[in-house]
Amino acid sequence: MSRGIIIFAQNNEYINYAEQACACAGYARKNLSLVDEICLVTNTETLESKKDLIDEYFDNIIVTDSFQPENVRLFKDTIDKTEYASFKNMSRSDVYELSPYDETLVIDSDYFIMNNVLDQVWGSDNDVMINCKYRDVSERHKEHIEYLDNFSIPMYWATVFYFKKSDFAENLFTIISHIKHNYKYYYYLYNCSGNLYRNDFAFSMALHILNGSVAFDVPSLPIEYLNNSFDLDDIYRINSHNDIIMYCADAERVTEHLLSRFTDTDLHVMNKKAIGRFIDDFLSNGEKVNESHSHLEKIDE
Amino acid sequence: MVDSTTNVASEKDLERLEKALDFSNTMKTFNLNKNNLKVKTQNLLSYSTAGGSFAVDQSLISFMYAVVSSGKTEITLLDKNSIPVRIEDTEKFLDEVSSLYFEVVNDYYNEYQKLRSSRKIEKVLEI
Repeated sequence: MSRGIIIFAQNNEYINYAEQACACAGYARKNLSLVDEICLVTNTETLESKKDLIDEYFDNIIVTDSFQPENVRLFKDTIDKTEYASFKNMSRSDVYELSPYDETLVIDSDYFIMNNVLDQVWGSDNDVMINCKYRDVSERHKEHIEYLDNFSIPMYWATVFYFKKSDFAENLFTIISHIKHNYKYYYYLYNCSGNLYRNDFAFSMALHILNGSVAFDVPSLPIEYLNNSFDLDDIYRINSHNDIIMYCADAERVTEHLLSRFTDTDLHVMNKKAIGRFIDDFLSNGEKVNESHSHLEKIDE
Repeated sequence: MVDSTTNVASEKDLERLEKALDFSNTMKTFNLNKNNLKVKTQNLLSYSTAGGSFAVDQSLISFMYAVVSSGKTEITLLDKNSIPVRIEDTEKFLDEVSSLYFEVVNDYYNEYQKLRSSRKIEKVLEI
């Protein structure tokens, strides 16, 4: 059984996702030991922008230049700076077809693995594992479960999920792809909030449909909570591959921050500009590929 | 008649109040770090075997102790997703979940003590 981690990255005018994905891959390689390969799914433009760096951090690169429809989101860098930029997140539903592995762990490029708990996913009996429960590291969001809307279904976080090649996973991704292509309909059907196409929403709807459109439980990853640092937080310092100090926006006054230290615990850092400011520290604390050559696979669309 | 002079806070009182409010800021940081430690501990208390994942806690350990004590070497157990998982060596399972529990909770204890005993949060965070 082959086991691989897949990270998606497509640069936009605001964020250098290629660098971010390399940092994320470096942390995954440093902290997990049971993975065969770490693979980047990207487009030609992003690959060419940082080819040498990408080769240093990824065993495998899959290039897919599929069309990305307009999807604009607001990026925040604490309370001070906000900017609208394109959000190229539409290829996630193709991961079942793209993944060359029997077992795949998909992680967002802003998810930093800082312990080895996710090594426990390999060999699981579950076809798909994804988390519904999360925690805001700044404790502004007090609830541990978010819903697509107050009157809708629970939201599953597509930030990190596991699947193995199986009927269930194949059907799940078929439905996700269908939702993606008919998003407006499902958006209203499920009473979603916001205008953005979100993978979290598409996954949650697909899981609901696949489970018979009734209340359902999807096996969660071995981690109990997804540790989310939202984009009002900032990074204070990167100490090592498993030690980060964050500025957490105060729940009462978001312009003020409290310091909190995270050791041996995975962290989803949503302030992408903050990652950019510390990119050299992230890259130097992560681990590169031992063999210098990487295998390049081209998917023609 | 109320003596208004008694309602005017002295400078000393104001200083004390300021100190108390400053301390509330420290407490906020302390509580945030404590809760983050707690969540980290919950995430680390996970043990996977035979295709299942288990949240390791005192009740799992106690249950497994009872199983091993009763002489059962093989059992089927519900994992954290309520999926039945066959455990083929109960003694080994008990050993491993116990070790994980003690290791993780001991680390939690040490880090919590460090956090609690230091009056300056900067010291704990090493900043």
